[in-house]
Amino acid sequence: MEFIASLLNSMPGAAAQGLAWGIMAIGVYITYKILDIADLTVDGSIGTGAAVCVVLTVNGVPVWAAMLCAVLAGVLAGVVTGLFHTVCGIPAILSGILTQLALYSINLRTMGWGTGGGKPNLPVSVDKYDLLVTARYVRDLALRNPLIPLAALTVVVIALLYWFFGTELGCSLRATGANGNMARAQGINTNWCKVLGLMVSNGLVALAGALLAQYQGFSDVNMGRGAIVIGLAAVIIGEVLFSKVFRNFALKLLACVFGAVIYYIVIQVVLRLGLSTDDLKLLTALVVALFLAVPHWKARYFSKAVVPAQKGGSAHA
Amino acid sequence: MKKLSKLMAPALSLALALSLAACSGGDAPSQNSASPAGNSAPGGDAAGDGKYAIGICQLAPHPALDAATQGFKDALVEKLGEGNVEFKEGNASGDSSLCPTIIDGFVAQKVDLILANATAPLQAAASATSDIPVLGTSVTDYATALEIDNWNGTVGTNVSGTSDLAPLDQQAAMIQEVFPEAKTVGMLYCSGEPNSVYQCDVIEGYLKEMGYETKRFAFNDTNDVASVAQTACDGSDVIYIPTDNTAADNTEAIANVVLPAKVPVMAGEEGICKGCGVVTLTIDYYDIGYMAGEMAYDILVNGADVSTMAVKSAPEVVKKYNAANCEALGITVPEGYEATGE
Amino acid sequence: MLDVKNICKTFNPGTVNEKTALAGVSLHLDDGDFVTVIGGNGAGKSTLLNAVAGVWPVDSGSISIGGTDVTHLPEHKRAKYIGRVFQDPMMGTAATMQIEENMALAARRGRGRTLRPGIGRDERERYRELLKILDLGLEDRLTSKVGLLSGGQRQALTLLMATLQKPQLLLLDEHTAALDPKTAAKVLEATERIVQKDHLTTLMITHNMKDAIVHGNRLIMMYEGNIALDISGEDKKKLTVEQLLAKFGQATGSDEADDKLLLG
Repeated sequence: MEFIASLLNSMPGAAAQGLAWGIMAIGVYITYKILDIADLTVDGSIGTGAAVCVVLTVNGVPVWAAMLCAVLAGVLAGVVTGLFHTVCGIPAILSGILTQLALYSINLRTMGWGTGGGKPNLPVSVDKYDLLVTARYVRDLALRNPLIPLAALTVVVIALLYWFFGTELGCSLRATGANGNMARAQGINTNWCKVLGLMVSNGLVALAGALLAQYQGFSDVNMGRGAIVIGLAAVIIGEVLFSKVFRNFALKLLACVFGAVIYYIVIQVVLRLGLSTDDLKLLTALVVALFLAVPHWKARYFSKAVVPAQKGGSAHA
Repeated sequence: MKKLSKLMAPALSLALALSLAACSGGDAPSQNSASPAGNSAPGGDAAGDGKYAIGICQLAPHPALDAATQGFKDALVEKLGEGNVEFKEGNASGDSSLCPTIIDGFVAQKVDLILANATAPLQAAASATSDIPVLGTSVTDYATALEIDNWNGTVGTNVSGTSDLAPLDQQAAMIQEVFPEAKTVGMLYCSGEPNSVYQCDVIEGYLKEMGYETKRFAFNDTNDVASVAQTACDGSDVIYIPTDNTAADNTEAIANVVLPAKVPVMAGEEGICKGCGVVTLTIDYYDIGYMAGEMAYDILVNGADVSTMAVKSAPEVVKKYNAANCEALGITVPEGYEATGE
Repeated sequence: MLDVKNICKTFNPGTVNEKTALAGVSLHLDDGDFVTVIGGNGAGKSTLLNAVAGVWPVDSGSISIGGTDVTHLPEHKRAKYIGRVFQDPMMGTAATMQIEENMALAARRGRGRTLRPGIGRDERERYRELLKILDLGLEDRLTSKVGLLSGGQRQALTLLMATLQKPQLLLLDEHTAALDPKTAAKVLEATERIVQKDHLTTLMITHNMKDAIVHGNRLIMMYEGNIALDISGEDKKKLTVEQLLAKFGQATGSDEADDKLLLG
């Protein structure tokens, strides 16, 4: 019972981290699922968001403005990857890796702003600054509980994206990912769409980075390491568990957030059950691989081979 | 059929999670199943039977950090007795974003005290709680880590601990003592480690006062250690390496560069000196862990107020030299230096 | 309407795989011309269409559509003038998007994409009416994902999308080749109907000689990256498959190409 009670007690923390990572997962969803690009920029841009947000906050910028700048910095990172890919013709995955690498230096410089050099770590304490979210109050029954702004931001992000992907521009972005040939034949500048998608995605990832830095009380140059895997895990867990129920686009985005929350709950549970954190990366990799494999296995072993194209065959035969 | 597959995904993932946890569950202390004792004397309810529950969050598996954790545990077990303290350990495996997750688990379990071993865990713990006492260890500079402007030796919140810093002025003096002929000191460190950057910042000041020219050679990760070390050799008479975790993991690679180049290395800690250095002014990580353990005892049992406890430094510093490397480079160390262990 | 002047294209130049796909092709289409294109494998039919569509830049020569020089315009900018249907039914539509979304994308061909709604309310009614003409039952499935449609349905939809906004030039690249004969006939019939109705300037590649003769007012045959035969007017109306083969033999000086041509 005691175990269950303390486990329940750790749920708010898992939910808060899950919500922040959920926004990051939505960013990953945009590139991975909509644009069909595996964008590794995120390992760097999450740190960029954190670095920009913290460095501005400690220099006296209001936290909302600092977060806005963090988002813009992430958007800029997306532009760079996009230009590497479209203008320089570098394969998407390599473009992302290059930007991620460059961002390591940029994040060091950002955090060392005003000191003339690089700085790998910058603290931001809730005692000194008016932060939007902090781990400190995650179990408080009060308005300052970080779950409230996190949930609100998640709703806002999903609503904005739902609107955006319903516009002409958003539709052309989806078409670019679904079928580049078709998109170009319909006069869509697929290169521009890819850049735009990477901008939106990395902006969201940077926002998540800004939230995480506030939540954990510091920004660290290493905090983005392996972020893409957590983002992918969230996207895939959400998709596998909720794809039958969530068909609407907004709900699909919500599924990513749920995926991230579930990921962090599972992490808490397995840590509590005594799994050594040394093995955590192995576990994450296995979970992601498993969830990736499930749809494949389902298609192969659990359904009669029905080729979708033949379903409508009778209509015109 | 369809229903079955629908159930498959969650069932499989749960099974996987559980089996993995079960496999590794053996070596960690499992949750105490006895009902909580009637008295509520030792603070929280994480451990039953009047035990103290201590959460230990360590940044990465690393000999120095491991030694500090061991010292901390030994101190508490010694003072409280084997059965009266339960340690819950989480190692972030070098992934700083995992620290809040681990710390949050401790807070949820209402541990009596948190030991944060290294900077990122300390920051995560300071952010996560203002009630539970947090002790740091292996943290070089608390003022930088927690952004304290007027540092007077005490953090003043629920945070205190021990520092792993061997006095940098003494380190600078040691360079002067052993290498009086040198003109340029190159500083080799990882740009991603806050402690290293801090040490280089400070010792640079001392060295300049002494009339040395200083140059910085920062590598980013394991991949460019060797090439940056080579550049450092080309541009310096002596190389200084602070208590840098990445450097500590790559002493072999550094040794392969600096020894053929005949450039001596002064190291900030013994592990690096053993691997690739000639001399070091060292503290014992076990000692600072042990000191943190004593502080924990004061807080838990004697009711000491953590907010008034000053951050402590290592009880003693020792001058050591690496006999093999000194011989290889033809360096004779002055009196008063101990040989490093093997 | 379409003016192709002396265009050349060589793939993989300077390698062992070097292949001259277009060797100085010139072609002029009048407004309302419906030209069928035949030729064996590797004769340069698809390459010609792709060159016009701007899939890649040509090595030399010029292309203009309706008096506008498009030689240096990228593919998506040329799309303003061109409607296209591909050989592969998967290529012309976005499988993961709904039928109406696909059509809405096509309806905005050549226009800037703004932040206005991707599909207007009144548009749906228009699409429903248009789909009725296809007679495939798609008018009741506006919100179905295109990936659920058969190949024939997708080709018919692509055709509709290509002509939703009247193109100055319609490019059909063996668009019935991947379909079963019955469906192919139906899609071809729809093609004829739409081209006639909107008086579209059309370039249609086909592997079927009979189709090439029956449809359109002009027929060209390609051979080794150039136009070997160009038959129009009364000559075309009276043309038979046998005559076509004979003429081809004369024009190219080869008599063994018959089978290749027929099969190609």
